[in-house]
Amino acid sequence: MGKRFLRFEFLLLLAVFTIATCGLVYELVAGTLASYLLGDSVKQFSFIIGVYLFSMGVGSYFSKFLQRNMLNTFVEIEILVGLVGGLSSVILFLLFESVHYFQFILYFLVFITGCLVGLEIPLLMNILKDRVKFRDLVSNVFTFDYIGALLASILFPLVLVPQLGVMRTSLFFGMINISIAIVLCFLLKSELKKGYLLKAKAIGSFVLLLTVFIFSDSILSFSEGKLYGENIVYTSSTPYQRIVLTHNKSDYRLYLNNNLQFSSADEYRYHEALVHPVMAMAPKIETVLVLGGGDGLAVREILKYKEVKTITLVDLDEGMTKLFKTNKILTDLNKQSLTNPKVKVLNQDAYIWAKSCKQKYDVVIVDFPDPSNYSLGKLYSLNFYKTLHQILSKDAVVVVQTTSPYFAPKSFWCINKTMMEVFPQVDAYHAYVPSFGEWGYTIAANSFVTNFNTVNRQVDGLRFYNYQFEKLNYFSKDMVSKDIEINRLDNQVLVRYFDEEWGKL
Amino acid sequence: MRNGENYNSRRTFLKGIAASLLLLPVLQSCKEKVIALLIRLSGTNHILGHRLWVKNFPKPTRQIQIPYLIIGGGISGLSAARQFTKKGISEFLVLELENYLGGNSSNGENQYSKFPLGAHYLPLPNFHDKTLLQFLEEEKIILGYDAKGFPEFDEAQLTFSPQERLFYKNDWQEGLVPKYGNSHADENAFQVFFSKMDYFRETKGADGKYLFDIPLGHSSNDEQTLKLDNITMKQWLDENKLTAKPLIAYIDYCCRDDFGLGIDFVSAWAGIHYFAGRKHNATSDGKENVLTWPEGNARLASHLKKYSEGKTLKNHLAYEVKIEGNKTVVHAFDDMKKESVEIIADKVILATPQFINQYLLENRKHIAREFHYAPWLLATLTVSDLTDNYSYPLCWDNVIHGSKGLGYIYDQHQSVQQVQSKKVITYYFSFSSPDIRKTRRALYKQKKEYWKQMVFDDLKTAHPDIEGKTEEISIRLLGHGMISPVPGFLFGAAKNQAGKSIGNKIFFAHSDLAGISIFEEAFHQGINVVNTILDGTTLDS
Repeated sequence: MGKRFLRFEFLLLLAVFTIATCGLVYELVAGTLASYLLGDSVKQFSFIIGVYLFSMGVGSYFSKFLQRNMLNTFVEIEILVGLVGGLSSVILFLLFESVHYFQFILYFLVFITGCLVGLEIPLLMNILKDRVKFRDLVSNVFTFDYIGALLASILFPLVLVPQLGVMRTSLFFGMINISIAIVLCFLLKSELKKGYLLKAKAIGSFVLLLTVFIFSDSILSFSEGKLYGENIVYTSSTPYQRIVLTHNKSDYRLYLNNNLQFSSADEYRYHEALVHPVMAMAPKIETVLVLGGGDGLAVREILKYKEVKTITLVDLDEGMTKLFKTNKILTDLNKQSLTNPKVKVLNQDAYIWAKSCKQKYDVVIVDFPDPSNYSLGKLYSLNFYKTLHQILSKDAVVVVQTTSPYFAPKSFWCINKTMMEVFPQVDAYHAYVPSFGEWGYTIAANSFVTNFNTVNRQVDGLRFYNYQFEKLNYFSKDMVSKDIEINRLDNQVLVRYFDEEWGKL
Repeated sequence: MRNGENYNSRRTFLKGIAASLLLLPVLQSCKEKVIALLIRLSGTNHILGHRLWVKNFPKPTRQIQIPYLIIGGGISGLSAARQFTKKGISEFLVLELENYLGGNSSNGENQYSKFPLGAHYLPLPNFHDKTLLQFLEEEKIILGYDAKGFPEFDEAQLTFSPQERLFYKNDWQEGLVPKYGNSHADENAFQVFFSKMDYFRETKGADGKYLFDIPLGHSSNDEQTLKLDNITMKQWLDENKLTAKPLIAYIDYCCRDDFGLGIDFVSAWAGIHYFAGRKHNATSDGKENVLTWPEGNARLASHLKKYSEGKTLKNHLAYEVKIEGNKTVVHAFDDMKKESVEIIADKVILATPQFINQYLLENRKHIAREFHYAPWLLATLTVSDLTDNYSYPLCWDNVIHGSKGLGYIYDQHQSVQQVQSKKVITYYFSFSSPDIRKTRRALYKQKKEYWKQMVFDDLKTAHPDIEGKTEEISIRLLGHGMISPVPGFLFGAAKNQAGKSIGNKIFFAHSDLAGISIFEEAFHQGINVVNTILDGTTLDS
């Protein structure tokens, strides 16, 4: 008794305190991750708290069957809680995309953690029951338990998540958990049986968690790759966007800010449909302007026409055009179009550039990102098309990628109607691109005499477009929309339509 | 900064995607660099202006003779110069105390954007205000008229969408009227209030004039309505049992925004005029919008300036105006050459506020005493990023509900550029208090650090990390920001007397003579004063 005993009791109570803190942190991590990944935070948190408390009850029930080597079991459980709880967020991150029964794994992990924590308290009370007065025991154990819980619930949102992030928080607490086990192993040597084995287990687990902690960043980017469902070949963050290139079998996919830009398997459909109708019907094609389209794939198609003298490509993002000039995979894809001597690449804001442009163009191909926010919406406004109109030659032809007429008919026809305000002749067409779905374009002529069905010239070797414009020009009933407003800078209705339509999906 | 009752409602716009949240912890771990904050402080040239108190100027050493002299290069003065030119008169001079023209409609500029130093928008004019429509057409702000005769405004000069958002109950929502999280009773109060305002907006008096119109002088003299000028807006709201808290906060905001003083201090007539004076009938769809520019109304001033080009004396403080024989003699101090000049004119227009006029003319103190001008503070912040909870995207006008400030304008909103490396915002604050003189003294007493902190503390409600993200802050103090229509002022004797010409020689034009500080009033004041001088009529040309 005396001093030595006090230390014994103090250590075990410290362990309770840690378990309570860590246990609650694991619960909060699970709740946070579930709300991040699955949405509906009220539901997720409510379910997780319920399952966690219930499983603690299950753990408490089973504690009565553990009667031998109770101190050893206690330390072992401490290690196990650290391991399971600490790794839970990593496991959840990694499995999120690839597993259908993600929720099952989530609740299973919560259940296991809850059971283990539930075992601990009764176990500890059993260990201490002969050494401490029952009245003190109950009061001390629960005091430490609840203080730990309070500490965890305050630290978690204020300090841990902002400083460490969710994944590292759980790993960090796993390590704390295990380090308590290690301390117990060393200080209670005499009380433990086969102490060396326990020590080995504890230290091994600690090292494992530490390793994962150190590499948590690359795990995070790997799990991001999982989110794309493909292998990530290349990632880069430019000041404007996050570029991710993935590879799966023979298919390369490019994502800009998580939106699919193209799939190498079927981009030819998209780009042939974008480029060849205008190139075929334009009276003149000497000077071509491409706005957006920093991947050089539209330019690749344009270069097939020998009459073209110059191509000016205006793309905001230097990181993007540089990548498509230098990366081997990508230059194979765009046939080095961006380094062709006919091509001039300007990394400027297309709207600002067009406002000050003095030159006139025979063909303009507009390949901007979809109008998913108010900044991008400006590039589809009446004022933008008026600006564009100023830099067209007399018989110029313009084509604009105008999102999907099937998924977003209001958006599609809104752009069409807006262009009708500015250009003498406007028409629309669409093509099926498997990775996108049904995709649409609006075409406009600066002259009343240009006929959209005319084929002034054509090139061989196309895989999709056969120079029969009328075949792409028919819209079924489910791709038509009425009562659409014109998109102006001062109303930005397009962004509202777009959000409404794509938001539904 | 205005009411936006008509805007479409949409609540959550940016939806969190799991992918971006996965990146969140990584992004958060990036530590911000600490950059020393640059604070600038500026104001109107009140030091020179305050020399009017002691008039310790040298005796005039030069003389200028001119038929017409306009004192004050704000909107009313510049508008008078335009009207002279339109009437074929080119022999006039404009005298300005500052080293720039435009008065409250002037601007600053930094590396990233222009920004307003005062007034910053013009609401779409009323359809019957043909004079103003004509000016806007001349300046290519109106591009033409449609088949039904409605003006077609230049899309690029109308506020871009999304126009306004309100930070209410910890979320941004579209428009300035609180919409989400209101109780049923609150909802009802808003409805009752707006239907009353619709009535006031559309109704005409027995004299065939609108009860509330712009210019204010065109309003009906309906007695019942004029009585509203004798009580405060708060009293009127109480009388009408409109006491819902969010409604009160909203109307108080509107009054502070347009008059500098809140509902406890402005007249009910003025408060209602804010909502009912504008008819929203200038476009075929009746939608509300405003015309704005990165530099605010300095754009309009620059359109007006061309009429007085080569006929302007800047840095000239007029300090004495008197009639001698059949001439008017004006003494002014040239702050550049540090010498005084005597200007002998046939007629003089004082396009200056009445708190100045009391020092230029004799026996004006009792008049000036009735004119109350609320002090204002503007702060333009250059921020590396403007993070908030993204519940609604950044708008042109961003207001925090229940704040003492008036929110901020995103100065680059009217740019068509996709990405801005830094964001520039201008924060507005009017000092609404019963003792304006005391606040004005405090305004100049406090150090710039004090005001900087006040701005941050207010903005932190919606942007918790604004202080760390701000790289530069330019604070502008306006001791006499704008005329504030306290009860009894708009239709009182002082205002009436202040506008009366003296001996057919000295004439007056200023928005404070209209009683409210808006572009339209100053613009019409300038035109009317010239018409009065030239043909004894006050009708717009």
